[in-house]
Amino acid sequence: MLSPVHDSQELPRAVLPDPERTALAALDRRSPEEALAILMREYGSAVYRYCRQMVGDEDLAEEIQQMTFVQAYEALPKFARRSSLRTWLFGIARHRCLDAAKMTRRRRKRFGPLEDAPDLPVPGASAEDRLAERSRAGALEKCLQKLAPHIRDAVVLRFQQGLSYPEIARLSGEKAPTLQVRVARALPLLRRCLEDEGMAP
Amino acid sequence: MIPEKTACDRFETEALLLLEQGQPLDDHFSSCPDCLEARASYDRLRGGLTSLGRHDEPRPDWQAAVWAEIDRRKERRRRWSPWWIAPVALAAMAALFLIWIPGQTPAGLRIEIEAGTTIRRGTEAQPGDLLRLAATTGGARHSELRVYRNDTELVLRCSDEPPCSRRRGKLTASVVLDGVGRYQPLLIFSEKPLPDVASDLDADTDAALTAGAEVELGPRVVVR
Repeated sequence: MLSPVHDSQELPRAVLPDPERTALAALDRRSPEEALAILMREYGSAVYRYCRQMVGDEDLAEEIQQMTFVQAYEALPKFARRSSLRTWLFGIARHRCLDAAKMTRRRRKRFGPLEDAPDLPVPGASAEDRLAERSRAGALEKCLQKLAPHIRDAVVLRFQQGLSYPEIARLSGEKAPTLQVRVARALPLLRRCLEDEGMAP
Repeated sequence: MIPEKTACDRFETEALLLLEQGQPLDDHFSSCPDCLEARASYDRLRGGLTSLGRHDEPRPDWQAAVWAEIDRRKERRRRWSPWWIAPVALAAMAALFLIWIPGQTPAGLRIEIEAGTTIRRGTEAQPGDLLRLAATTGGARHSELRVYRNDTELVLRCSDEPPCSRRRGKLTASVVLDGVGRYQPLLIFSEKPLPDVASDLDADTDAALTAGAEVELGPRVVVR
């Protein structure tokens, strides 16, 4: 039986996926450039999607995504290996996204809601399917934006990014049971919001 | 009267948390139609959340933007590298030292006259008033406070010993103006030892200037 991983311990490499092991090997060779290139290739899109849902704005999400990797590059030599690189990376992105989400929330309170982002076509689907999916996704994004940033954060990390509760707990510094309750309470809110939008799940 | 049937909400109130906790659900949830319906609805919601933004991609050149920013930061750091920061910091510290060390403040002499409990900064006094002197010596190695009466009588001369006292480069002294006359306070300071005195204002001042000292005359006080 595997022993639980404590914060003070390094993660055993055997439990890490291949790209992480390759990135760590690059760090061992003191090549943060190589490690960063691997991280960008593996997690670039995921970080962008996370940021996109967190801040609700494509340009801002892209800016945060890029700054996340710049900051990661600067911090890579000091990476303590107490979590996976992915969790660590999302920890950096999370801080920036929460700051931005709070600012956006304040701005919305002051100046009203932002304009909806233009919908992008969904490749490989019929026009009808695309329309329906776009509407559902649009409504869900809108409902997510209505959640408080720290609740939205837990929901997005859990479902969109598929992180486990221990992983979310590690990167957010909160306890897993707290996060489980938070997500379980957020789901009915989202469901009702979608119903209000005429998009019952 | 038959009570209105209300929908079972146990799925929302219990099962959602149990599922997030990875706990098994009891048999009720596989037989209750309301709960089955709710479960299907939440499964769709989860599915929607899981696939949210799955087609979203950052711009194709985003990685280049990251490298460009990294290069820009490196360049900025290189420009701000410590090879020139150290000398500049040293110069700034030296400047601060020159400005702030007490002995290096410009030389000057200030007087106050204490008459009983009253202190005034005028130049008129009465016998028995106290003349207080405070001087900054500009960091000179040798300095003295002197007071001459009627230009020919030395009534105060001191350096580090009482009635003078020196603190943080400031030289202070006081003398009782015990007779009528004109009292001339002065500060003499120099890097070299000061010459002997002849108890004559003009002669002593000449001697000090000849010896390379500097003389700062204070306001003349008239005691009537």
